[in-house]
Amino acid sequence: MSKGVHRFALLVAVATFFLIIAGANVTSHDAGLAVPDWPLSFGKVFPQMVGNVFWEHGHRMIAATVGFLTIGLAIYLQIREPRRWVKRLGWFALGLVIVQGLLGGLTVKLLLPLWVSAAHATLAQLFFLTTVSIAVFTSRSWTDAEPKIFAGGNGVSVRTLCVASLGLILMQLVLGATLRHSATWNELLPTGLLVAHITGAVVVTIALGITAASVLLRHREEKFLTRPAIVALGLLFVQLMLGLAAYVTRAASPYGAQPLNPMIAVTVAHVACGALVFAATILLTLRVFRVLRVEPRQVGVLAPA
Amino acid sequence: MFSKRAGLWLGLIATLGLLSLGSACGNKGGGEEGAGTGESGGAAYASKGDEGTISGTVAYTGTAPENPKIDTSADAQCASKSPNLTAETWTVKDGKLGNTFVYIQKGTLSDGKSITDYTFAAPATAVTLDQNGCHYRPHVMGVMAKQEINITNSDPTTHNIHFTPSKNQDWNQSQPNGAAPLKHTLNAAEVMVPVKCNQHPWMKAYIGVMKHPFFAVSAENGSFTITGVPPGKYTVVAWHEGATGPGTEKTAEVTVPAKGSATADFSFGASAGMQGQPSSLPMLAAIEFPMLHKQ
Repeated sequence: MSKGVHRFALLVAVATFFLIIAGANVTSHDAGLAVPDWPLSFGKVFPQMVGNVFWEHGHRMIAATVGFLTIGLAIYLQIREPRRWVKRLGWFALGLVIVQGLLGGLTVKLLLPLWVSAAHATLAQLFFLTTVSIAVFTSRSWTDAEPKIFAGGNGVSVRTLCVASLGLILMQLVLGATLRHSATWNELLPTGLLVAHITGAVVVTIALGITAASVLLRHREEKFLTRPAIVALGLLFVQLMLGLAAYVTRAASPYGAQPLNPMIAVTVAHVACGALVFAATILLTLRVFRVLRVEPRQVGVLAPA
Repeated sequence: MFSKRAGLWLGLIATLGLLSLGSACGNKGGGEEGAGTGESGGAAYASKGDEGTISGTVAYTGTAPENPKIDTSADAQCASKSPNLTAETWTVKDGKLGNTFVYIQKGTLSDGKSITDYTFAAPATAVTLDQNGCHYRPHVMGVMAKQEINITNSDPTTHNIHFTPSKNQDWNQSQPNGAAPLKHTLNAAEVMVPVKCNQHPWMKAYIGVMKHPFFAVSAENGSFTITGVPPGKYTVVAWHEGATGPGTEKTAEVTVPAKGSATADFSFGASAGMQGQPSSLPMLAAIEFPMLHKQ
């Protein structure tokens, strides 16, 4: 297994995280249409970075960098990665980033219709999921991990809990993206979506709480699993606090003369932390699927494969 | 440890999640269907020479909120040209409110026909919306549907003009410094069409689009005059942008006599229900966040 491939995959995942932060800044600054043309900016590759052009064009520059990094990763995987399915995942990531770039262009060309903006923000998280997964699959801890047989009993398997949590977090991210793009900084957030997002936060907290507790109680000796579970829980707590702060600052936002820094900082941090909660849960889920082989009929405790 | 009951709970959680998603049908909240903006049809109005005027004053009762100072540091040209720029929401002087759009919403002429039974030709002359000092001049204006709007840039920086109407087409154009004026028309009547600059997000203007020419914007001293009004009974509306949202409206009923004048006075402010705009959730309506405003 190539250490270089893993490091490169990690670089792509980290770059994608920064791209999500840059995209969140575009939304919070209401800079999505600061540059009216696409793919060039005012007909140039590098325009004057004045006002909100800084955020919009900066986002495009980081997106282009991530695009090139993904091409590099896809090619690198074809050369150095022995597993065919991981190679295919590289091409899949490349396909996603191309579609994501086109969606970004559509947001500009169609003047930010809600469904395109929300789809762009959602696909960003799915692309992040893919890059994080590639980084996990190419890691030494993944290849060295030994599958264990676990007597799951009659309870809900940890696998099921992880998948459910992951799905719910993704739904919550979609809700959050739709909420953010349904009103600019000087408009009040639609109450229905806001209530749905808050409900989603409660649902995710319960689901991820049960999942992490299940991992910590059933597999407390398996640091390979407990670490991401603890990280996910910690990030979830931070995310809930950021969500509360984002609600307060965002609710006050329309009364300001311009997007104010506290609102921008908190809402961007909320988006970024949401992506991190997602990443931690992805890591937990993948590792659970890697090491746990559930055989409900077997009696006994954790045993080597 | 986790029994079938836990599975049931999990199912419940998933269902709740799906319900959350299902209920996520936000409405961007278009403005009210204002009359005066309704479909007019029928014969072209021909002046009979007996038209009158509607005039009045827009007052603001109570202490007007202070317009927050704007941080223009994102663009050095704006910071240099307008170092002390403030928001223009509240143009209040001696208890009078400027930048209020006043228009005839509906009414019946002395011949018994509704004002919407007539059509009125849009003026051939364009109205100008200038970007000067990194804010729009004027801040509030009115045009007739299909009347040309001439957009100029008097600043040494690039601006981005973005019309965000609910009944007309979205329109987003950039205009570098020194570029030729842009021309644009709004075809459907609408109160109001917000205009913003995506490069300088503090820049806001509002355009009232009418099917008829009976509208005015209150001056700094709160006064306004609508001329050439056919004799009849009308509902006159005064619109002000307010603190946020689609704006606040006040109405008055007037009768315009032949060759005469009618008075319509309006009052906005704390006692007129302009404070405490609706929030995303009602519990936040009265909360203020002074710590979030830059000094």
